[in-house]
This record gives sequence, structure tokens and C-alpha cells, in this order.
Amino acid sequence: MVEFLQFTLSGIVFGMVYAAIALSLVLIWRGTRVLNYAQGGMAMFTTYVAIEVIYKTHSYWAGFVVALAAGLVLGAACEFTVVRPTTGKPPLNAVIVTIGLLILLEGLAGIFFGGSYRSFPPAFTITGLRVGGTPLGVSRFDVFVAAAVLAATLLLAGLFRYTSAGLRMRAAAFNATIARLSGIRVARVLTVGWALAGLLGALAGILVSPSTFLYPNSMDVIFVYGFTAAVLGGLDSPVGAVIGGLVLGVALSYAGGYVGGSVGADLTPLVALAILVAVLMLRPDGLFAGSRMRRV
Amino acid sequence: MSNETPPGAPAAPEGRSASLAVEGLVAGYGEVVALDDVSVTAGAGAITAVLGANGAGKTTLLRTVSGMVKPRRGRVLLGGTDVAGRSPEQVVRAGIAHVPEGQGVIPELTVDENLRVGTMSWRARKAERTTALEEAYGRFPPLAARRRKLASTLSGGERQMLVIGRALLARPRVLLLDEPSLGLAPRVMAQVMDLVVRLSREHGLTIVLVEQNARSALSIADHGVVLNLGRVVVSADAPTLAADVALRHHYLGF
Repeated sequence: MVEFLQFTLSGIVFGMVYAAIALSLVLIWRGTRVLNYAQGGMAMFTTYVAIEVIYKTHSYWAGFVVALAAGLVLGAACEFTVVRPTTGKPPLNAVIVTIGLLILLEGLAGIFFGGSYRSFPPAFTITGLRVGGTPLGVSRFDVFVAAAVLAATLLLAGLFRYTSAGLRMRAAAFNATIARLSGIRVARVLTVGWALAGLLGALAGILVSPSTFLYPNSMDVIFVYGFTAAVLGGLDSPVGAVIGGLVLGVALSYAGGYVGGSVGADLTPLVALAILVAVLMLRPDGLFAGSRMRRV
Repeated sequence: MSNETPPGAPAAPEGRSASLAVEGLVAGYGEVVALDDVSVTAGAGAITAVLGANGAGKTTLLRTVSGMVKPRRGRVLLGGTDVAGRSPEQVVRAGIAHVPEGQGVIPELTVDENLRVGTMSWRARKAERTTALEEAYGRFPPLAARRRKLASTLSGGERQMLVIGRALLARPRVLLLDEPSLGLAPRVMAQVMDLVVRLSREHGLTIVLVEQNARSALSIADHGVVLNLGRVVVSADAPTLAADVALRHHYLGF
């Protein structure tokens, strides 16, 4: 029972990170119908920026803020420079471009920051929390991880629902033609969408790197989990992305935890892959397709 | 004469209406030439019906005027300003609102959000947008009752009200309507036509009305233009066109 609680809680924490990546993919997918394969690479790069700033300033929070800002800028810059020219071209063009971007970012990271594993500091202690002597399997930092993603998600939801900028983004995503005819500068809106996605990715990178170490490929597997979560949620649904992230996080935590040892660690990517294949075969529109539109 | 639109004005007040003149317009898609040297003038404050069979180029004409299709040649004069080649975002700011065919509501958004999208072409405080929205609800009471509902729950007539209301919120001087009666029941269609007349008569809005249903379009229009295979066949005032039996039979199907 204690084990179950521990696995569930740590699954939720990791699930929140996957949810952040999934949400960033959904943001971009809804606006541009592009799957951004470079999302993990962008997050890796901004996390390196964070570690350099932390090293220079000795302040975790300076690194935190600079990395988020770098994510915003990197997201917007990528959309503006390499993604926009693929508009109106076959979908494969954008796929190739974002994969190329990933390779470029990983190469540049190796050149600028070196290829070795670097440890990334957590914001708070990673000593496990206990309730009356029972370890919960999560630390104070883990609580921060979940809270940070939750806060970012709620802020985004508020932005989309209650602001003019959010309405512009939703209108542009649902029907770009009508949005343009109504005077919404859709190209600009898409850049903002990529910027927000870059910010979310940067957040995920900072939050996950204390557990994974940081190296040029360190976000690859996190990206795959985030992608799986997004597909689970239907790629089009922000709520689905968050739920998909949590479901996947908990599922992988059980798989790794109950099987245990190195087998369990090796098993988790396979479980993610199995879930991805199963969803694509059984419900290619995601678990939440259909129910989303029927809200009256 | 003031050029300022008073807060909340849904459409251009009298004195601000502008004529729309298309001169020598050539446009198409890839190899296909959909408009071949088309010239049409829509008088200020008047209703101009654009008629013709499927594939005559009616929709392409509207799409080219609003910037969705780039013209290969020709001018689009709003008042005296050439807006040809501008993007849709710029054209609507210049004063031309386009209601595309197929009841273009955004079904995933609420009625209120759909209308608010219409105010995005101008800078304003929130209060001013709210005032403009209330004006629109005053004009279309059925929408006011359903403002929190998703647009997908509206009837066909209500959807048409919504898209016209949204276009008016852009404060246009010229309104382009593409088949506003498509798919509507006859009684609802008559209401839409009444609305078009009121917009022209009461607000001095210049209206270009593309219609498959030539009979009802000519019954409310001041002027009519018949297109065939991307060219203007005839341009005359509406009663003259309606009285021309041969033309009606050949091009208009009634």
C-alpha cells in the first residue's frame, strides 16, 4: 500500500513534466498543424542556458527566469526563421525542418557546452517527504515540479479563456481564414504560440534535469514521453495533454516500480512505446476526441 | 465631416459610405483563370448583386477583393484607395468586411467569443468593445439570449445573424456577402434579405451580394452584374436585369 502510494505520487510528478511537454506540442499543433520534433532539443538548450547562468550568478532563480525567457525567444525565433517558410508546403517539409532543427540544436549544444553529463541543481531539497515516518516517495522539489507545471497550465488556460490575445489564438487555431478576415494577424499569433510552447518546454527542461542529468540528448526520451502523452490526449486538446501526461507518468511509474531493478528501468520506454502504438491503433484521435466537441 | 466612428457604431454612419470599384481584375488558382479582366462598380450605399452559375467566378471575385486570393492584375478601389494585393488583415482594416460562404461561424467558440473576434481589427479599450457588442446584441436579440452558448448550437438563421453581426463589428464601409441564404429555410432567407436591405438603407453600407438565388437577390438589389466563366456578361440596374427574359433564362435560371 505504501509502495502504491509512492509510485503513484512520483508518477504524478513525472507526469506533470510530460504534461508540460505535451501541452507545448499541442499549442503548436493546434496553431500550425506542425509536430515540433525539436521541442525536446529546444528545452535541452534552454536548460544549458540556465545552468550557465546559475554557474555565473550562483542564483537558481536567475537561471530559472533566464531559461524561461530564452524559451520564449527560441520558440518565436524558430517559428519565424525556419518553420514559417514551410507554410502551405507539404506537411513532410515541416517534419524535416523540425528534425533538422533538433539535430542542429543538439550539435550546437555539444559545441558550446560540451557533450559530458552535467548535474542540474533542484530548486529545493530532494530529500523525500515523510508523513509520520512513512516515506511518500516524493521530495519537496517534486512538489515544486508539480506545482510549477500546474501553475503554468492554469495561467495558460486563463490566458486562452479570458484575454483578447487568447481569443485571437483560439480563433486562429480553429479557423485561420475567418480569423484573418476578421483582422487577426494570424502569422503573428502563431509566433506567439511557438514562443509560449518554447517557454513551457524550457520549464519542463529545468524541472526534469535534476533527475536525468543534462547532456545534448537528455531531453530525447522526455520528448518521446511528452509526445506519447499528447497523442494520448488527442494532440488537439490541452486538457487531454495534461491528463495524458498524468496517465502516462503514473503508468510508467508502476511499470518501473513494480518490476524493479534494471529490468524495470529498461521496461519504462517500452511501456511508453506500447501505449503509443496501442492508442494509435485503437483510438488514433486520442482518448478525449469526441467528448470534447459534444460539450453543450 | 468627422471621420471618427462613434463608439459602438456597428457600421459606417451615413456620409462615410464608400464605393467599391474593381478594374480589370485577373485572378485564378494555378493554371486556372477564374477572373478574366473583370470590372465591377458597387455604388456607395447601394446593394450590388453578383450573379451567375457555379464556377462563374463570383466567389473568387469576393476572395480577391478581400485579399484571400492575390490578383495577377487589376485594381480594387475602395473610395479612391487601391487595396489590391493587400492581405485580408489589412483589407478589413481598410473597411471591407467579407462574410465567406458556408455560414462561417467558429463552432468551437461561444456566440459572444465569435462576436468579439469581429472587434479584433480595431484597437480599443475593453469597455468600447463591450459597448459595440451590446449594440450587436440589440440588433440581433436571438443572439443575446444565447451569448454563452457554443456557436455550434445555433440554428442556420442564427448562424447567419452571427456571421453578419461579426462582420459589422469590424465597422466596415463595404460588406461582401457570399451566398448568405445558402441552406436556409425560405422564411429565414427572407429575414436575412430584409436585414441586408436595412443595412444598406439605414446605415449606408455598400453591399456586394453574391447569390445563387438570382430572383431574390435582384428583388432587393439596386444593381446587378452577371458573370459567366470569369467574365462580366452584363451589368445593369436590377429591374432591367429582372425584366430581361432571355438573360434570366440563359444565365440566371429563373
